[in-house]
Amino acid sequence: MAVSAPLRRGAVRADLEQVFRVSYRRVVAVAARVLGSCDEAEDVAQEVFVKFGRSSVPAGEALGWLCVAAAHTALNHLRAGRRRTAREEAVGSRKSTSADIAEIALAGDERRCVRAALARLPRRQAVALILRHSGLSYAEVAAALDISASSVGTTVRRAEAALRKELNPDAPSD
Amino acid sequence: MRHPTDGTLRRILDEPAGVADVDREHAADCPVCLAAVCVVHDDAALAAIAFSTSGDVPDVDAAWQRLSQALAGDARGYAAAGSTRPARRLRSVLRRPAVAGFGVAALLTGASVAAAADWLPIFRTERIAPVVLDQDALVQLPDLSAYGELEIVEEVDVRAVADAAAAEEASGLEAPRVDELPQGVIGDPTYRVGEQVSAVFTFSAARAAEAAAEAGETLPPPPPGLDGGRFRLVAGPGVAAVWTEARGVPALIIGRAIAPTGYSSGIPFETAHDYLLSLPGLPLDVANQLRSFSADGTTFPLPLTDPDGDLTTSDVDVDGVPATVLELSGGAVSGVVWVEDDVVTAVAGLLSVDEVLDVARGLG
Repeated sequence: MAVSAPLRRGAVRADLEQVFRVSYRRVVAVAARVLGSCDEAEDVAQEVFVKFGRSSVPAGEALGWLCVAAAHTALNHLRAGRRRTAREEAVGSRKSTSADIAEIALAGDERRCVRAALARLPRRQAVALILRHSGLSYAEVAAALDISASSVGTTVRRAEAALRKELNPDAPSD
Repeated sequence: MRHPTDGTLRRILDEPAGVADVDREHAADCPVCLAAVCVVHDDAALAAIAFSTSGDVPDVDAAWQRLSQALAGDARGYAAAGSTRPARRLRSVLRRPAVAGFGVAALLTGASVAAAADWLPIFRTERIAPVVLDQDALVQLPDLSAYGELEIVEEVDVRAVADAAAAEEASGLEAPRVDELPQGVIGDPTYRVGEQVSAVFTFSAARAAEAAAEAGETLPPPPPGLDGGRFRLVAGPGVAAVWTEARGVPALIIGRAIAPTGYSSGIPFETAHDYLLSLPGLPLDVANQLRSFSADGTTFPLPLTDPDGDLTTSDVDVDGVPATVLELSGGAVSGVVWVEDDVVTAVAGLLSVDEVLDVARGLG
C-alpha cells in the first residue's frame, strides 16, 4: 500500500468527491462495525476523508486505504477511553456463561462487551477481522494490510478465536 | 499429509476457490479437519453476529456537504493562521442549537461589572465551587421569590453570530481558539454570544415570615437593614464556541464570561450570607455546603444535580489557576471551569478529563 504523502497545505485532491460518493457507505460500515453506532461511525468517516482529501494515495488503492484508516481511527476512539468505553470495560469484565453466545451478542450490553473485547485484540488482528467482516476479500485485506493473502485467513482465524474467548472465557478452547 | 492450517480452513469457508485443491479435498475427507472446520465456522458466525450493524443507510449527499464545509473551513483556518500553525479547525454542523444555547445560558448564570453608584460591591467571583444537590434538596430548595421580590432587569439573550470576530465584537471578550482539537472533534466551531444579564432581589421580612410559617417554622429576626434591602446580581456578557458532533450534541463547548459579581444596597455580604443560610426551608446539607465556602464573597456556587450518582468533582489547576473538574458517566462527559482576571471560562464536552484539560491548558 502506498504511503500517504500530504498535499500542499490547504489543497484537496481532485478526485475526492468521486471517491467519497463511491466509498462513503463502506467506510461508515467499517467504522460502525467497530463502534456499534452509525452516528459515531459517520464522525470517524469524516475524519478519515479529511485525511484522505489531503493525501496523495493512488486512486486505485483508495478503498483499501480508507477502510484501514476507518478501522484504525474507530479503534483509536474505542481505546482512547472516549464516551462509553469505561462502561464497556465494566461490562466486558463480566463473564458470560450462556451456551448461546450468538444470541447474547445481540443484546445491548453484550454489544458493548463486543466493543470492549475488540479493543483488547492485537491491532492487526482487530483490523483484519473488521475488514473481513465488512466484506473485503482476502486479496483486498491482504493489500490493505500489506500481508500475504494466505496470512489473512490465519490472522482472521486468530482474531475470531480470541474474540470468542473474550466473549465466553468459559468455553472450551480449540 | 499434514492437515491444512486453521487459516486455510478459515478461508475455505469464505473463498474456497482461493484454497489449493489438495487442501480443500483433504479437509472434505478428514474427520479431524471437518471437526476443526465446525469450530472455525462457529467462531466466524459469532463474529459475524457480533459485528452486524443496524442497517442504517448514511445520507451520502448530507455527508458530502458536511465534508465540503469542513474542508472549506480548514482552508480558511490555514489562511487565517498565516500557515504557521496546524489548522485543525474544520467545520461543524449544529443540529440542535438549543443545546448549545443552554450551555451558554448556564455559563452566564453569573454576573458582571455594571455597578451603579448606589450599589455596594459585595461579591466578586474569584473561584467557582460546585454545590451538589440531590433530588430531594432540589425539590426543597426555596425559590428566591419566597423571601422577597425578584426582578429580572436584563434577561438572558443568547444568539448565534457569524464568526469569532463577530463574537468578540458583540461580547468584548476574546473568542476561544483551539490549535489542537481532541480526537473526534472536527470542524469549525459555531459561536454564541450572550448579553449582560442582571437581576435585583429585594428582601421582604414579611414574605419570608409567611414562607417560614407555611413550613411550620418561625423566621429568625432579620438583622437591621435587611428588610427592604436590595441585592443586584450581574452576569456576562459571554461568548461560547461550540463544536457539534453528528448526533447534534456539543462534542466540545468552550465558554467565557465576565465572572459573577453581586452588589448590595447597603447590607454587608457577611450579614446577608449568614442570615440567608439560616432561613427555614433551606436543606441542611445545601446550607452546610454553602457555609463551607469562605464567607469573603469570592467563591461562586455552581449548583449541580446528580440523580444518577455518577458525577465526580475534583480540584486541578489550569496554568497555575485553581480549577474545578466535573466528570460524568465514568468519563463520558467532562468539564473544567475556572476564574482568572474576572473572567470565568468553562471547557466541556463528550471528552475525557485529560482531553478537556489539554484543551483548557492550550487555549488561545
